Amino acid sequence: MSGVLAAGGLGVLVAWVVFALAGWFVAAPLSVWLGGVVGALAVLLLRDTVPMRGLVALLAPFGVMLPALALRHMAARLGLPVMPFGTVDLLVFLVAYIVFLASAMGALPVDIYRLGYAPFPVAVLVLAVCAYGLITGNWFLPLVAVLGQALWITGWGSSNWFDYVTHVLLVPMAAVTLVLRLF
Amino acid sequence: MGAVHLVVLALTLLSVGLSGYAIWRDSGLEWSFAVPAPPAPEDAPRFETVFEYSVDQGIAHSPAIVVQDEGPEIVWFQGSSEARPDVAIHRVGLTRDDAGQWRAGPPEPYITSHALGDGFVPRQLVVTLGNTIENEGAEQSLYATVVSVGGWAMASIADVRMQDGRPVRARKLSLSPFLNRSFLVKSPMVEYADGSFALPAYFEMGSTYGALVRFDAEGRVRDQRRMTGQGIKPIQPMIVPLDASRAVAFLRDFNDSGRIYVSRTEDGGRSWSKAGATDIAHPNAPVAALPVAGGRILMAMNGSGGDANQLHLALSEDEGESWRMIHTLEKTRGEARYPMLRRLPDGDILLAYSQGTKTGLRAVVMNEAWVAAQ
Repeated sequence: MSGVLAAGGLGVLVAWVVFALAGWFVAAPLSVWLGGVVGALAVLLLRDTVPMRGLVALLAPFGVMLPALALRHMAARLGLPVMPFGTVDLLVFLVAYIVFLASAMGALPVDIYRLGYAPFPVAVLVLAVCAYGLITGNWFLPLVAVLGQALWITGWGSSNWFDYVTHVLLVPMAAVTLVLRLF
Repeated sequence: MGAVHLVVLALTLLSVGLSGYAIWRDSGLEWSFAVPAPPAPEDAPRFETVFEYSVDQGIAHSPAIVVQDEGPEIVWFQGSSEARPDVAIHRVGLTRDDAGQWRAGPPEPYITSHALGDGFVPRQLVVTLGNTIENEGAEQSLYATVVSVGGWAMASIADVRMQDGRPVRARKLSLSPFLNRSFLVKSPMVEYADGSFALPAYFEMGSTYGALVRFDAEGRVRDQRRMTGQGIKPIQPMIVPLDASRAVAFLRDFNDSGRIYVSRTEDGGRSWSKAGATDIAHPNAPVAALPVAGGRILMAMNGSGGDANQLHLALSEDEGESWRMIHTLEKTRGEARYPMLRRLPDGDILLAYSQGTKTGLRAVVMNEAWVAAQ
């Protein structure tokens, strides 16, 4: 099952990239369909090629958050109701995530990533995300957090919950979004 | 209360259920080391070279010892140059005949980058291979340092399961939020009282630190603890348990300070002291260590601040505080580095190291009587 999850994550990311590039030339829903078809074909037919093996080696584990954001973005272009993240929320996330990465690099005396291996800290963290969702009326982040927790428990992917709900690519994504909003 | 709040509430309840199941299922970790019990020195002293190997071109480096009932194997990486795509893991089997004579089988390629890449699900690109050690927690298993992009600082540790001499399943250990990058292995595992094994590893990006990795019953990473230092880059921890709760880790300083560093634990590896410099002058190279009879520690070290041209054996009778050189291994051209010491099932000690500045390997076997006689 871990292979299916990774292949699915890779397919969604390829679809998202193709959708974004196609968006310069064609409008949704064609760009979404184009991305979906290319993503599916890439995973099904090209998975043993060097570029696809390289993408898996480079970007896995894909987790839940990154594919979920990609799907969310494409869903929004299809006209589905999507609640945008607030600028302050994005800024807080970016700062917090950079602190998290710094702690993983040993730049801080605490190791936050280690908490993602143990069930009790993970339970507290997921509840905190759910509380945030209840307060702000945002169902997306609680869904990602709980889905990540469910997959983490199955043991099909990473043994660390943070690998399901974060990804280093979120740093440039959040930074670019913030820059586009602020300037 | 709107539909969104109901959805989030349902997710919260689901999370509570999942958390309850995860907490109920989790058996926690045993933090008591298996106390080493070296055999008493009874036989006649023995010290013999059992394997010599060199390559005409390229490199053969970083030998590790795989201990098995049918005789130990030595595995190393070999290729045209370090970190090149043609680097593969090679191996040689050692056996002892009825007369007690050691024989080395023919060295042979064991794991190629491509074959290992095929072991991942889905298949992955593996560009090159590095330090590889035995996974003592599972049969026919190795932990391999694999690189898919970049250099050693972008390496990952792969849990590799072997069958019929080839990798049949591989997965990267979940050790870092940087896409599992920058963790490497070098030293043998550490046994705990419950029969589980922990993996000494090291993180080579940024500030750099040593780590002790714990696993759950399925071999998935369950915890990791750090060995850090001030103003140094402590890597390649070589951990020697002293009793159920205490252990000492000898660390190489990647910063070229010319010293070996030591970090200690008194709680079974949960926490480690800041790595402190020892009196051991040493080049930027790893050491190997092993508990031997009489509560002493045997170490294979270079023991010189400037170069790694010679490898020595040293003994400590005070848990690593001070050392006495007992033997200098035969000098060859070039550097002698990356020693590994392992205890064999019959109680003998196998030492393997690379020589000729990464162009060859040597392995020697000694017994407790030989160590005691020095």
